[in-house]
Amino acid sequence: MGMQACNLHNLPENYTLKYYMYHSLTWPQLSYVAEDEGKIVGYILAKMEEDVSEGDESHGHVTSISVLRSYRRLGLAKRLMIQSQEAMATVYKAAYVSLHVRKSNRAALGLYRDTLGFTIKDIEKGYYADGEDAYAMRLSLKHLAR
Amino acid sequence: MPPAGIPPARALPSKESSLFKEVLHYYEDRQLKKGLKAADSILKKFPNHGETLCMKGLILTHLGRREEGLELVKQGVRLDLTSHICWHVFGLIQKGQKNYEEALKSYTQALRFDKENMNILRDAAHLQTQLRLYDGLVETRHTLLRLRPQLRQNWIGLAVAYHLSGNLAEAKTVLEQFERIVKNVPDYDVEMSEVLLYHIRVLEDLGEYTEALTLLDANAKSRAIIDRVAIQEFRARILSKAGKDEAQQAWQGLIEQNADCYDYYKGYLSSRGVDVDAITDENRDKALQSLHDFSQQFSKASAPLRMALELASGAKFAELVQPYLETRLEKGVPSLFADLKSLYRSPEKRDAIESAVTALLSTLQHPPTVPSPPDTDPTEYIWALYFLAQHYSFLGNHKKAIELLDEAIAHTPTLPELYMFKARVLKRAGDPFGAAKNMDLARTLDLQDRFLNTKAGKYRLRAGLVEGAVELFGLFTKKDAQSPSHDLEDMQSLIYLTEEADAQLRNGNLAMALKKYDAIHKIFDVFEDDQFDFHGYSVRKFTVNIYMNLIQWEDTLRSHPAYVHSAIEASRILVRVYDDPKLASKPSSESELSSAEKKAKKKAKKAEKKVQEEAKKANPNATNEDKGLDVSPPKDEDPDGTKLLQGPDLLERAVKVLKPLTTMAKDNVNVWIAIYDVAIRRKKYLQAVQALNHAHMLNADSPELHIRLVDFKRRWLSLSEKPSEDASLATSSAILKLLPDEVSVEVFNSQYLQHHSSRADAILAAAKVSRTLGAPREEVEASLFNALNADTALAIVAFLSEIRSPREEEFRTACQGKFELSTLFLSPADLAAARKAVVQKDPVAEAVEDKAETIS
Repeated sequence: MGMQACNLHNLPENYTLKYYMYHSLTWPQLSYVAEDEGKIVGYILAKMEEDVSEGDESHGHVTSISVLRSYRRLGLAKRLMIQSQEAMATVYKAAYVSLHVRKSNRAALGLYRDTLGFTIKDIEKGYYADGEDAYAMRLSLKHLAR
Repeated sequence: MPPAGIPPARALPSKESSLFKEVLHYYEDRQLKKGLKAADSILKKFPNHGETLCMKGLILTHLGRREEGLELVKQGVRLDLTSHICWHVFGLIQKGQKNYEEALKSYTQALRFDKENMNILRDAAHLQTQLRLYDGLVETRHTLLRLRPQLRQNWIGLAVAYHLSGNLAEAKTVLEQFERIVKNVPDYDVEMSEVLLYHIRVLEDLGEYTEALTLLDANAKSRAIIDRVAIQEFRARILSKAGKDEAQQAWQGLIEQNADCYDYYKGYLSSRGVDVDAITDENRDKALQSLHDFSQQFSKASAPLRMALELASGAKFAELVQPYLETRLEKGVPSLFADLKSLYRSPEKRDAIESAVTALLSTLQHPPTVPSPPDTDPTEYIWALYFLAQHYSFLGNHKKAIELLDEAIAHTPTLPELYMFKARVLKRAGDPFGAAKNMDLARTLDLQDRFLNTKAGKYRLRAGLVEGAVELFGLFTKKDAQSPSHDLEDMQSLIYLTEEADAQLRNGNLAMALKKYDAIHKIFDVFEDDQFDFHGYSVRKFTVNIYMNLIQWEDTLRSHPAYVHSAIEASRILVRVYDDPKLASKPSSESELSSAEKKAKKKAKKAEKKVQEEAKKANPNATNEDKGLDVSPPKDEDPDGTKLLQGPDLLERAVKVLKPLTTMAKDNVNVWIAIYDVAIRRKKYLQAVQALNHAHMLNADSPELHIRLVDFKRRWLSLSEKPSEDASLATSSAILKLLPDEVSVEVFNSQYLQHHSSRADAILAAAKVSRTLGAPREEVEASLFNALNADTALAIVAFLSEIRSPREEEFRTACQGKFELSTLFLSPADLAAARKAVVQKDPVAEAVEDKAETIS
């Protein structure tokens, strides 16, 4: 519920609680939160892709990630992302992780590309409900496999 | 002749019998139209065939013809009371209505006539879990396992059932047996890994640490458990519990994985004999040394540094806090104050922080007095001012905080954080209008940021501007939603609903306030229903560790502050309307529909019409669309909530929302006050006095309790007809303990006032009591002028207005003089003007906003 509240505060894409439950009861290892004395100030909601198309490898997907504005500049998003990626690689042997980002979201794009090393794989036209395009991004996790 | 055991009324000739099999088949494949047709042709010849009637009803329900369907099912059950199909269908329908208790009864009937039906057994298990009937659950799971021991999930289901019923030892036995017989587990199997971790958790909970560790180590080594983080966490935790030396090493390993997790440091230190929650002078240095070493090893981690601040004291604290502050101010970390404020419990630390930041500020280069250009980063100087403003506001010095913020804004007028905090200071100082205005300024500085937008909306609600707030929320809600409010409600935004309900309540619109509180209660019902699907799902997926957490969470769901608050407020509204039914018909202070509301209404109507038209277009007989069994919420027939305030069951509704709080929030004195208020009006005297007893145990001096004690005594004494003797005796003796007979209520009241003469809320409570006891108005008024306190002043104004005091204005003026930043004590006309001014845009902000809207 804290995750849900944090998401509603920050992002235009929202989900009902059951969707969060579904993530956490299917892939309990992949989602993380950042807390300040019990209050959730950032989260990553992640999953494994369920229908992997032929020829594709098993991979993780970041459904949603955000940090409250008042808790930025602490590197929380980066650390949440790294924890989740480790789990994707070790528990589910994910070959890579994918995510979508709004074309206009320069801050997030910077984090994914420059800090975490994601690359742009594709542009998905009109991905968001309001018609904005998304960059489909990817990062290989092969180096984390053991 | 029908086969033996089949009642004649159920038996069908071979043609119809095979048709019926087709019905079942079509239903399972969701070929609803064909199923319906087949059912109809049986019914043509055998109109009283119960099972066919039930199947037809079930199919109709799936097709969205719910009422008709339900009727047929009921009829079918009556015609064939010994058919498992009939009862099963009835159970399915009831489950769809979320009527779990009745559904379970039907399933139980169905099982009487078909003891080994796997589907029915499984569904029954889910219902028993939902209803927390764990003994029955164990039995059902046992049957399932006996019937299908080759299914892995049946073993786990039984172990979980034992666990839930509190029988951990049996859960352990089941898991052991399961692991002995399970074969052909593929390498790297996530499911088996989860089961083993669950087994270890059971052993841990049983206190069998050695056994747990053996199992963990063996399976970690063989890589049967693949969740590396879980292995390390389980290991460290259990080693600690077992008091083993290796614990230290294990925690260290975890810190190396994730150097920002406080629990790992706590675990590490406790393995070295340091309890961080009870630090002593003997072990303080040892702990600080460890944390220092970690901070050297993980230079990017904040946790060891921050934890050291918690543990250090005196000169050591000052030495540590200085670089902590400096690096973060330099970096411009906005959460720095929020991070440190828990240290303010210690005045020594508070002062050390104040002097460190003040000293730092004086060494920093004053930025040039001309405002900096928009694209440069705010300097350390600005962040230091920002920090100090938060510091002073926290200590109640709002004026100083505003000065510091204004200075910062003069230098860097483009940093939203500065306006955001200025808004907060003004809010704290009692100026919701100035607060809303500043939050709006912050918002216009970054129109793409929903966080700022949400805050701005919230602050408008705090200033009573419901319409203006919803307009802002609408900038980020789904465009195709009926209205921004609908979208936020659909997305279960408890914060929005709470804030709007509170705002409506403050504006005197009881109907809308109650409607929003009601919406919150419904969301909690949904949260409770949400778990249902996971009773089967988690067992199938073997994610039982997290599932057990879910169950625990659901069991305490309604202790959530949003529920507690809204239940209490809703109950208060219901009680007020019960006492004064005129409130239900009285038009609210804002009953004139605003233009935005009108617009929303129009839009809603249009949307509804569209739905109806589409429904018409789709001929129900031609479609095969499956609408499912779950009943969707009925459409809103009461958009402004007026119907909620009516009806003979106001108090019963209050009882219902308050009920969970007697266990979930039993330490909250307001809960018992609310329960009292309802019970006394329902003439449940014993219950009422018990509620007072609870409140008394929690807070004997509570002013609200004081008012109720006198209230009870007066009501009790004036009762012409006392309840039956036993209850009467119990009630009397209970009240005697709280308010002895030899003390008159007048004396009781003045004693209370004497004991708490410095507390404004107590003075107000005593004044209210005196007034009900018939004291002259002048005397009551005079006592209130001794109580000028920011927290109660508004309540006093309200009370003065209620008793039509001529001195209300005088009191207001006195408050205004004392709380200079506040706007809450303005005259009603000035208040309205101030409110209006908030949404008046200044030209610059408007231009910026227009531009942004065309871009997005």
